[in-house]
Amino acid sequence: MNKKLRTKFLNAEIKSPLVLPAGIMDMSFSGLDISAKNGAGIVTSKSFTLQPRTGHKGPVVAEFEGGFLNAMGLCNPGIVDGLAETNEFKERSDTPVIVSVFATNVNDFLKLTEYVNTSKGDFLELNLSCPNVFDEFGIPLAASKDEVHKIIKAVKKISEFPVIAKLSPNVYDIVSIAKAAESAGADAICMINTVGPGMLIDTKMVKSVLFNKFGGLSGPCIKPIALKLIYQTYSEVRIPIIGMGGVKSGEDAIEMMMAGASMVGVGTAVYYRGIEVFNKINNEIIEFMDKNEYSNLEGVPKLEKLK
Amino acid sequence: MNKRITLKIAKIEDETHDIKTFTFKHKLNAKPGQFIMITDFEGGEKPLSISDCSEDEFSITVKKIGEFTSRLFQKREGDFMSIRGAFGSSFFISDGKVLLVGGGYGSIPLYLLAKYLSEAGADISVINGARTKNDLVFCDKFRELGIKLIITTDDGTYGEKVSSVDVARKILSNQLVPKPQLGNNDHFQAGAWKRENDEKKKKFDFVYAAGPEMMMKSLQGVIGDIEYEFIFERYMKCAIGICGNCTMDPLGIRLCVEGPVLSKKIVEQITEFGKYHRDATGKRILY
Ligand SMILES: Cc1cc2nc3c(=O)[nH]c(=O)nc-3n(C[C@H](O)[C@H](O)[C@H](O)COP(=O)(O)OP(=O)(O)OC[C@H]3O[C@@H](n4cnc5c(N)ncnc54)[C@H](O)[C@@H]3O)c2cc1C
Ligand SMILES: Cc1cc2nc3c(=O)[nH]c(=O)nc-3n(C[C@H](O)[C@H](O)[C@H](O)COP(=O)(O)O)c2cc1C
Ligand code: FES
Repeated sequence: MNKKLRTKFLNAEIKSPLVLPAGIMDMSFSGLDISAKNGAGIVTSKSFTLQPRTGHKGPVVAEFEGGFLNAMGLCNPGIVDGLAETNEFKERSDTPVIVSVFATNVNDFLKLTEYVNTSKGDFLELNLSCPNVFDEFGIPLAASKDEVHKIIKAVKKISEFPVIAKLSPNVYDIVSIAKAAESAGADAICMINTVGPGMLIDTKMVKSVLFNKFGGLSGPCIKPIALKLIYQTYSEVRIPIIGMGGVKSGEDAIEMMMAGASMVGVGTAVYYRGIEVFNKINNEIIEFMDKNEYSNLEGVPKLEKLK
Repeated sequence: MNKRITLKIAKIEDETHDIKTFTFKHKLNAKPGQFIMITDFEGGEKPLSISDCSEDEFSITVKKIGEFTSRLFQKREGDFMSIRGAFGSSFFISDGKVLLVGGGYGSIPLYLLAKYLSEAGADISVINGARTKNDLVFCDKFRELGIKLIITTDDGTYGEKVSSVDVARKILSNQLVPKPQLGNNDHFQAGAWKRENDEKKKKFDFVYAAGPEMMMKSLQGVIGDIEYEFIFERYMKCAIGICGNCTMDPLGIRLCVEGPVLSKKIVEQITEFGKYHRDATGKRILY
């Protein structure tokens, strides 16, 4: 990997600023491994819950011009089997891994954190923002700054790993939520989770395409929303941001960095450009840096912060 | 791009007591081995191989095994179904001497393959095996192609009580030479097999297999150094290579994109082959 892409995230040395986000190619150690081999600097596990979940019935994805809707429904093998996959990945790779976990209350988050503490993971990400389990769990935790604060504070007390808060874009005031996460001790912010949710209709059968009816938007159409929310958050918090939402090209990744992201997630673009997408984007970032004579990522300028 | 399309079922035909073929009028441009995702929006979107495909129509052939397939069996001609595809890799079309081994409903994708191979001028032998006579699919369709067909059943209700892998081993080592038999007695019969003269004993160029994973695993053991392709099944959700549910260890290849047809070179590296697969939660299930 080109040295120019080397960077630091929290206290880890990273070979590329690109991150495989939670929920993409991460149901097995080999899915994480192939993503790392293809140029992801950090990989994230699926969001694990205490018990295994089969997720929603299909269709779980629906394509439209601007991107995708998905309602996977947090399918995952449960924290025990999930961490076994994470550990097996770490036996093969020195790429840092973020372990993502999902729960709906402090107690469960604490139990999950205890499991993660015993794993070979490098970071702990709290998915506070899945939009696709509304029927089951109601409004995502990331909608309430008090809940976010309470959970992160409790988890920080016992976590052996740096804690990342994954935030939802589907809130009025994301900045106050990000600040609540920061003041509770979060080490970084990951944003954005999927947008909406939205729906699509099959006009011949007069049915919602997704069996869950609604699903979160990802892909190119959410990039402008992601950029705006990352920029607003970057302007007000000091902790690093993993920025994601619709990144497909090196130029998109640079936009994320200019908006304030330290690391950049690439999820849905795996569909548009193949699993090789990470190295393609790495090369495009290098091209951009060469053209503009930036010798390292820290040299890529950021927007002036909002006042 | 694989846009979703909603189509009327044009034709429904019974193949066996629990296998039906559904035909749709639509130009799909699918190749042998590829699959579609199909749903009725009532819960479940499932991968099914394309069992036949021509200029203006395509078919799927389905075994009733659970919730979705049972509901599909209640559909009538004229009912709508929504499909995405065709997805995945397809079989290499050889023009040499080839052996196809199908087990149970695994034989479904082999018919379209046999059609393509036959057009390419391949010398084709097919072993079509099943548990019982009632579970055999596509025997007549294979016969219509005028290829060498060997039928076996586990319980001996049709042909000889013998495993298809055993027959494959004998054929591949030229202990047995299948003959073109267009009649109705083209099942395995000890007496019908004889050593042919040496020039007929040309080595096989290619083996194709589809069926239960453990069948393919033991078949792999008898193939020797001949090239082959197997078609696999893994639990599929997105079918577009992002959810990662269908990845195979340790390569991380996605069966919905790089598969379902995998070549010898890949299969040999797959450590989960014949050992385990992952269910809808991603949990490993041992074979
Ligand atoms: C590439 C591919 C091609 C296939 N081609 C055919 C075919 O041509 N004809 C045919 O009859 N069947 C085929 N299958 C199997 C078919 O998908 C399952 O039989 C069907 O999904 C069962 O659904 P169900 O709701 O009726 O059963 P369930 O009770 O839900 O499941 C029964 C079993 O079916 C399998 N299955 C269920 N859902 C899925 C899924 N989403 N992805 C993969 N496997 C699943 C699992 O092994 C499960 O244990 C194929 C599978 C794959 C992966
Ligand atoms: C199929 C799919 C599954 C996802 N699963 C999760 C998940 O389990 N946990 C989570 O925090 N985010 C999940 N996400 C959200 C992504 O991590 C990411 O935030 C979002 O897709 C935006 O990035 P993108 O446009 O590059 O895909 C999922 C997204 C998709 C498309
Ligand atoms: S089914 Fe989602 S990656 Fe293959």
